[in-house]
Amino acid sequence: MLSFIGRSIVQKTVTLFFVSIVSFLIIHLAPGKPSQVNPLNPKFTPELVERFRKAFHLDEPLYDQYLYFYRDLFTGKIVSWKDNRPVLQKIWERFLNSLPLFIVGTLLTWTLSFPLGIRSAIYRGGVYDRTVTFFSYLLISIPGFFFAYVLIIFVVTRFHVPVIGMETFGLGDASWPPMVMDRVWHLLLPSVLGATGGIAVLSRYVRSQMLEVERQEYIRTAVAKGLHPDQVHYKHALRNALLPFVTMFGLILPGLIGGSVIIESIFSWPGMGRMAYEAILARDYPVILTVNFVSAVLVLAGTFISDILYMVADPRIRL
Amino acid sequence: MTIKRLLLIIPSVLVLFLLQSYFWVPTYEDQTKGNPQRLVQFITASIGDASLLNPILSADSASSQIESLVFEGLIDRDENLRFRGRLAKSWEIYEEAYFYVNDEAKIPGSGRIMPGEILSLLQARKSSAHNPANLQASLELIKEINILPPHKFKTIVSIGGREIKATVSAPPRIKLVLQRVDQDLFKNLKLILGKDYFSSFPGWKYVSTDLDIGRAHLKDLARKLLPATEHNPVIVFHLRPGVVFHDGHPFTAKDVKFTYEAIMDPKNLSPRISDYEPVKQVVITDPLTVKVIYKRLYSPALGTWSMGILPEHLLNKQALTKEAIRRGMDPETFSIRQSEFNRHPIGCGPFVFKEWKSDRYIILDRFEGYWEGPPNYKQYVFRIIPDLLTQEMEFYAGTVDSYSVQPHQVARLKNDPRFQSFSGLSFGYTYIGYNMRRDLFKDRRVRLALGMAINVDEIIRYVLYGQGERITGPFVKQTDYYNHGIKPVPYDPDGALRLLEEAGWKRNKQGWLEKDGKKFQFTLITNSGNDLRKAILAIAQDAWKRIGIDVRTDVLEWSVFIQERIDKHDFDAVILGWQMGIEPDLYQIWHSSQTHSYQLNFVGFKNKQADDLIIKIRQEYDHDKQVEYCHKLHQIIAREQPYTFLYVNKWTAVLDKRIVIKDVDKNGQVVYRKITPTKTGDYTFYFNKWIKLPRVPNFSPGG
Repeated sequence: MLSFIGRSIVQKTVTLFFVSIVSFLIIHLAPGKPSQVNPLNPKFTPELVERFRKAFHLDEPLYDQYLYFYRDLFTGKIVSWKDNRPVLQKIWERFLNSLPLFIVGTLLTWTLSFPLGIRSAIYRGGVYDRTVTFFSYLLISIPGFFFAYVLIIFVVTRFHVPVIGMETFGLGDASWPPMVMDRVWHLLLPSVLGATGGIAVLSRYVRSQMLEVERQEYIRTAVAKGLHPDQVHYKHALRNALLPFVTMFGLILPGLIGGSVIIESIFSWPGMGRMAYEAILARDYPVILTVNFVSAVLVLAGTFISDILYMVADPRIRL
Repeated sequence: MTIKRLLLIIPSVLVLFLLQSYFWVPTYEDQTKGNPQRLVQFITASIGDASLLNPILSADSASSQIESLVFEGLIDRDENLRFRGRLAKSWEIYEEAYFYVNDEAKIPGSGRIMPGEILSLLQARKSSAHNPANLQASLELIKEINILPPHKFKTIVSIGGREIKATVSAPPRIKLVLQRVDQDLFKNLKLILGKDYFSSFPGWKYVSTDLDIGRAHLKDLARKLLPATEHNPVIVFHLRPGVVFHDGHPFTAKDVKFTYEAIMDPKNLSPRISDYEPVKQVVITDPLTVKVIYKRLYSPALGTWSMGILPEHLLNKQALTKEAIRRGMDPETFSIRQSEFNRHPIGCGPFVFKEWKSDRYIILDRFEGYWEGPPNYKQYVFRIIPDLLTQEMEFYAGTVDSYSVQPHQVARLKNDPRFQSFSGLSFGYTYIGYNMRRDLFKDRRVRLALGMAINVDEIIRYVLYGQGERITGPFVKQTDYYNHGIKPVPYDPDGALRLLEEAGWKRNKQGWLEKDGKKFQFTLITNSGNDLRKAILAIAQDAWKRIGIDVRTDVLEWSVFIQERIDKHDFDAVILGWQMGIEPDLYQIWHSSQTHSYQLNFVGFKNKQADDLIIKIRQEYDHDKQVEYCHKLHQIIAREQPYTFLYVNKWTAVLDKRIVIKDVDKNGQVVYRKITPTKTGDYTFYFNKWIKLPRVPNFSPGG
């Protein structure tokens, strides 16, 4: 176990190093220039552009720029080119905004998919199963932005309550219970939208996993020896069907920093996705690269965690 | 079974908890109608967030919108786009002109004369009654004539990478003080001093260097160090007394000088540096008077002083050093760019900065001590709502007070009885530019014919939903500079064919135009991400195909489009747009010196007459004369057709109908008026007097 952890950490560090090089190259070699050195703004004289390039180290060879960037990143001195604010501080603020959305979305996905999927598997081929299947595919295929617009227009015209932003705008100084509930309400629509795709996919997974386990002989044995059907499905079958999902748990981690550009834009949610997207448009290299680096770290950490979880959940597996 | 129950109970509880929050949320009704606070609050929405709230550093429109409320400039423009004083009560512009005495030149009728004699000669001619009219006009402007004695100075210059010490012993110089700026002064003085008096000035004789740099370099250097003639326009601003910054600190000439210096400080990387590069010196004559001396004639100079003025006491060297130490940063490299000031700005504008939540909102409170009296609104809120449909929904719900209508919605919203609407022309135009370096487009008739083949009115009607107007030249359509006498190119495919035939293009058997066995064929490109331009691309291609031109099209990603095609001049024809300022300075886009790679005259327009006019417009300080030159320049560009000028967009904005202008009349009575746009379409001009009423007011037809 310990040797596995050691090996894994070394491997992942090497991978991270290559990721950092490749992502740095992709971003620097991609067409487009930071908006501060955009040559088609008549206000920017060549001297000014030159000065900006110097200030951003853009006039130096790529490997030097690489070193400058990672030195600044690890000493925490990295600042955004757009507004000169520390990148880590910016990311942290956005992370805190995205976090509730992520938590509620994930909770909805994981708590709703299981009952839906299990029931589908138990009554496979029935009306219930067909309905769930239909809606799953419907939700997978509806574009998120369209669904979001439909929902917003429906809620706003029907119920006359605000839905966008993180809280009702201009709520002023209300006491804390309404404040909290107001925030919860504003979480509802975006997290439901964020979760729909997840629920649709995950409940399909649960269904097929359950089906596979239900075909096993020990299930037939359990049924044959006269156990209560609930006992069979929820104890014998479900436990064994859960194994693959344990590993999926670790893979949720990168979602922490992802954020959805479309949902966040439509709901004016000041989250990570929007910040990263705007940084890409303005070619704000420090922000793009830092987000990239942090998400690479999270992906690697996520796979690491799922490996460990696998070992813990199934003692037969030795890595 | 516990597991089964848990699997059902947990999601149900979660969903119920989320849904019950609905009962705690105030409805839009509570927020807008039942809330008296809402009436003294103006809320507007923007797609993007501001970047730096510092007028000398930011270049984006969201930041400048906030800056225009928090900061105030020395001047701005009134309803008719003329300048009016803000922090400056008044100003005057005059000129100091210099020329070196050329003791080698022979004066017509007098021969070689001493410097003192030049003085008396000029004075004598000034009082003479037999001068030509233009000379007389120039002479009459002269207020003072002085001789500056010879003087010596040393300087270090770099030539070809070498540092060279130069010693200059300048000859006497004559200084003229003029009542007004006169760009023709030296041209007219030549009538007295001889036509070679200035051009034959042997400046190189007075310059010596420690290393030999050769005759040619020496002459170049001399021209820089000892220019034979020099125009120094001067603007004197008389500042408004009693103005204070939001922190109570009085505003003085020191702040103006500081703002200028902050822009010029290379550490700050100000994008406005090019506007102020022509400034030679800013002099404080007394706490409420600033004199700005320019190196050369540059008439857009006055307009640059509409820039917000920074508070010196918060951003000077000491203040920055203190901040750097407090935040644990190196005071040596710490500049205004890093300062916290950019997120908590303090100016002397009508609104005080209160709060900024990134990507959510910026809140400003009114400034009770504003010199023109505080605005009617108590609060200005700038919400960031990146999605247009969401913005629209918020506007209908009443949590945003204004909404910029998209072209396809205009017909629906313009006459909606719930709202008041305003519309006007924007400061930019869309065009098709032809690469005039290519043989195909060298002939003016060909360019004109290409324009005649396109039905622009139809583009406006169907692509823009009627929200556009035709434009014939490069000036802002609602200014005086635009020449309304010029008719747009008519839609006339037959006429186009006739013109092309004149130019040697004839239709072959397949119907394609041909000249010397070569088909008329080229590629029209534009950038991706702009649906309007893409639509025009298809329309133009089709229109040209109909008269027998084989046009290929290509849509490229913006940065590739600019770097690989426009900057390298690798294109035949291109659809693009320009955003313009009010100043009629066309140097960068139309002057023939700007046709190199990475410059903005990428179509390669070269016209001697146009060049002269562009320079003259830049140097002319008299509005009427400027207008006259602009009209001529407009004519030349319209005749030459380097672009097919297509259209200028129309914008429409809707406001809540309850928002009105509240004013106090002569008898001290409060009066309410309907918001009316100025002549140029600016409806926010009287923003400080706006207020929202509890219900829609009824105005008599007279207003």
